[in-house]
Amino acid sequence: MTIHATLSTGRRRFLQWGAAGAGAMALPGLARAQDKPSEIIVRAWGGAWGESLKAGVADPFTAATGIDVRLDFTEDNEIKPKLWAAVDQGRIPPIHVNWDTTTNATISALRGVTVDLSDLPNLEGLLPLAKPTGLDGYPLVNTYAYVYVCAYRPEAFPDGPPQSWTVMLDPKFKGRVALYDDGIGFNPIAVIAGGGTFDDVPDNMEPGYAFYRKLKENQPLLGEDADFTTWFQNGEIDLACTISVNARAARQSGIAVEWTVPAEGCKVDTDGLWVPKGLPENEEYWAKQFVNFALSEQAQAKWCSLLGLPPVYPGLAPPEDLVGDPSYPTTPEDFARLVSVPSPVLVENQPIWFARFSEIFQG
Amino acid sequence: MPLTWRFLDTIEALVAALWPARWRGATGWAFLMPALLLVGVLVIGLGYMLEYSLHELNLATYRLRDEYALTNYATFLNRPVYGTVLWRTVLGSVLVTGITLLLAFPYAYVLVRTRVPWVRKALLVTLFLPFFIGQVVRAYGWLIVLGREGLVNSLLTGLGLPAQDLLFHFPAVIFGLVQYMLPFAILLIVPAITAIPEDMERASESLGAPWPATFRHVVLPMAWPGLIGAGVVVFTLTMTDFAMPEILGGGTTDFFASAIYDSFFQISNPGLGAALSMVLVTLGSLIVAAVFALAGPGTLGIRGART
Amino acid sequence: MNPVVELTRVSKTFGDIRAVSEASLSVARGDFLTVVGPSGCGKTTLLRMIAGFETPSSGEIRINGDRVDVVPPYRRSIGMVFQKLALFPHMTAAQNIAYPLKMRRFAPRVIPGLVKQYLELVQLGGLGDRRPHELSGGQQQRVAIARALVFSPDLLLLDEPLSALDRKLREEMQLEFRRIQRELAVTTINVTHDQREALVMSDQIVVMDQGVIQQAATPQALYRQPANRFVAHFLGVTTLLDGRVVRVGDDGDVAVQVGDTVLQARGVGQALVTGAPVDCAIRAERIGMAAHGQPGLDNTVDGVVLQRIFEGDRVVYVVRVPALGDAVLSLFDRDADVHETTTEGQSVRLAWQARDLMVFAKQT
Repeated sequence: MTIHATLSTGRRRFLQWGAAGAGAMALPGLARAQDKPSEIIVRAWGGAWGESLKAGVADPFTAATGIDVRLDFTEDNEIKPKLWAAVDQGRIPPIHVNWDTTTNATISALRGVTVDLSDLPNLEGLLPLAKPTGLDGYPLVNTYAYVYVCAYRPEAFPDGPPQSWTVMLDPKFKGRVALYDDGIGFNPIAVIAGGGTFDDVPDNMEPGYAFYRKLKENQPLLGEDADFTTWFQNGEIDLACTISVNARAARQSGIAVEWTVPAEGCKVDTDGLWVPKGLPENEEYWAKQFVNFALSEQAQAKWCSLLGLPPVYPGLAPPEDLVGDPSYPTTPEDFARLVSVPSPVLVENQPIWFARFSEIFQG
Repeated sequence: MPLTWRFLDTIEALVAALWPARWRGATGWAFLMPALLLVGVLVIGLGYMLEYSLHELNLATYRLRDEYALTNYATFLNRPVYGTVLWRTVLGSVLVTGITLLLAFPYAYVLVRTRVPWVRKALLVTLFLPFFIGQVVRAYGWLIVLGREGLVNSLLTGLGLPAQDLLFHFPAVIFGLVQYMLPFAILLIVPAITAIPEDMERASESLGAPWPATFRHVVLPMAWPGLIGAGVVVFTLTMTDFAMPEILGGGTTDFFASAIYDSFFQISNPGLGAALSMVLVTLGSLIVAAVFALAGPGTLGIRGART
Repeated sequence: MNPVVELTRVSKTFGDIRAVSEASLSVARGDFLTVVGPSGCGKTTLLRMIAGFETPSSGEIRINGDRVDVVPPYRRSIGMVFQKLALFPHMTAAQNIAYPLKMRRFAPRVIPGLVKQYLELVQLGGLGDRRPHELSGGQQQRVAIARALVFSPDLLLLDEPLSALDRKLREEMQLEFRRIQRELAVTTINVTHDQREALVMSDQIVVMDQGVIQQAATPQALYRQPANRFVAHFLGVTTLLDGRVVRVGDDGDVAVQVGDTVLQARGVGQALVTGAPVDCAIRAERIGMAAHGQPGLDNTVDGVVLQRIFEGDRVVYVVRVPALGDAVLSLFDRDADVHETTTEGQSVRLAWQARDLMVFAKQT
């Protein structure tokens, strides 16, 4: 009996406190959206990628605002459904900022889960590359370009860098060639290497699939960013189509790796940042501030030179080791050697390419 | 009254206050509740999967359409790659289960029967050590040991033999999975062998059976339920494995779980992913049910199904 | 006639532990020999060496005159009934009994007949289709013995198979085993810690303690003429007393001093010298009791009843005797009149004949 009495009083009192507490918290919340959160969470890629974001953006942001930045290394493909589900169900999303490929970010934008960034002051004066294509406003912002280069072990190419991607088909390199496990970064290139032209993309991908079928005979390895570095390090591969950042990171850690842009060209693409819908007002505010900061001259200079990638902030000099490097396009001639597929085309066709790719290589 | 008696009386009084005698009939159910809840959640999850699998993805919004359709199952049937990968998965699971049981049984037998203390200790340590090393770390370990410039190939070339491709093909995946499953299988078989009194084997021997006959007529039939249990666990774990084929297979010998993962995450198609999951769950359940049906009632020690 | 089993100075050590030490014994054809002793005395190891599950560290074992040290168990012609029976749970009673016949390659056409014959021998006709867990404890015993005998082994070994049964069933089974053993005239070695079982069933008994055979003899000889203090104490209810020899007469007559009293006794086996410390043993049923006065026996002492235990057919008295250095004696009394009148705390007079007080030289 005693216990019951205590419990019921307790519950009533708790409810009173709860109501009062909520009121107390809600009022200043309405008044000042800029209230600083203790931290903001940014999803990032690991390794050289995460380190560059931390040194180039996160740490200076913390120094400037006093807000801690926590990097969350959930895979980009895995965070996507979590964010979608959170927005659909009206829950607070698990991260504040998503560092994402432009293609995936565009898919999320199409789904309507991203916050518009048009009002960020630092968008002013950026290269046109920063603006997402096929979308209204800025549901995401591109931050730099990157190239899927042809990385190779110089030891395996005594006569100089490979001139054509078709070298992948050389039986000499059987079992020693690597691609991303969905063919990302190579699918349009395969069309050209397989005898087609850029105009065949996306309507006639058959030359590319024919190239893949021949490549399958040569037993390529399929992996993700981290795998390429490991494989080069362990001497498992001689040649890979991978983002220049991975090849540069491998070289900086003492592995003998070079890269080149073969005759058929290389695919150039962009990454971007976006903020999911459904954050508390003040947190969304500071998440946008983070994105804005990442677009500042200071952040762009440091972040992108660490990555070794051309930033969207104009007029910044490349890092010394990349001056004149084909993976760091600066001039129109540089860009002419690269292959760029508009995001809407990628969004629409990439799932089909991935499916055909796995059909050929898993079959 | 001795102190311990008073202590026990106090405890009993406490128990009686917290759980009155008239609730006693529900005690068993109370203990079952957490398990039932967990299974319930699982069933609900499966229900959601089934529901998802019946909706097609709208590529314009990346949402599943509202209307019901069998498109995802049609995709599974129309794309031969799924059949190929599923067949590879089943074949791999059968191979891994067979090889694992073949290796686990003698290990468990020696572990239980040895009279040499250091042999038992060594076997126990080697059994439990791998549990502290995750699957992914172990797979990467094999990359180092079996790689082109790894330990094994260094030894081979050191002996003047040609280096071998030990990685990135189906046998490498099977090897990695067997190595991963072995401790589970041993742990499941050990109690089955412990439950066979040593006198059973002595009796068989004294009745005229040399060890191979004793093994066939006494040890094997008596350990059978344990073997079936271990086999089912290894089989289902392998059927749904993801990391070993990805890492040791070099990306071209994926198992079905990778296809599911790719559907959910790579191409953001939860409907197709759910449909593929349903296919895997159904096939796995059918195979396990067939095994139990063939292995006969009474496997897993369920009574009441006496022949 | 040659013995069926003959052990010559057989020893077995496990690490530092000497489980069996220099054991020699032999069993004649058709005999029932029981090895009896407390747990850990080495009797099971001895049995396992005969069965072939353990190899002797030294010494030799012969069966039918042939050395069997390197012969594996499945080549020895030995049937064995295990302590927990070890019936195969996945086989029916009949399949259990057929198992040795199949393993020993009996002609398939004779097997069903033999199985039926042995099921009937152990009075289980009609129960052959049952699994072991569908049979009672006694029925399981019968299956086990049928299985051990069906292939007509030269030797039957029993490893305490009756120890798990309750007393009444155990006593029934003892007689049943003995009947079957006599009927088939199979040479049998039984191992037990139950002295009563040993006395009831055996032609010959071997008493073991700490790995050493203490005495081998017929049940009567063992009971009447124990070779030492251990054997005397192990069989029957016996009181042990410390004494000292005060006189050695002819014909084995001795006088020993226990406490303040000199008792008339008989020496057993060893030569005794005056002044030597000795163990004296007296069996409970050999001590007579009277309230006071009488009777004219060789030794008479007075004591006080400490405890009175009613066991139906007899009463056990535990009596403290001040004159024997406060020794505590156990005795039985079957006289109903005495039971009525004797109570705890009462003074009583105890008396026994000189030949019932056994004296052994102290074992060092």
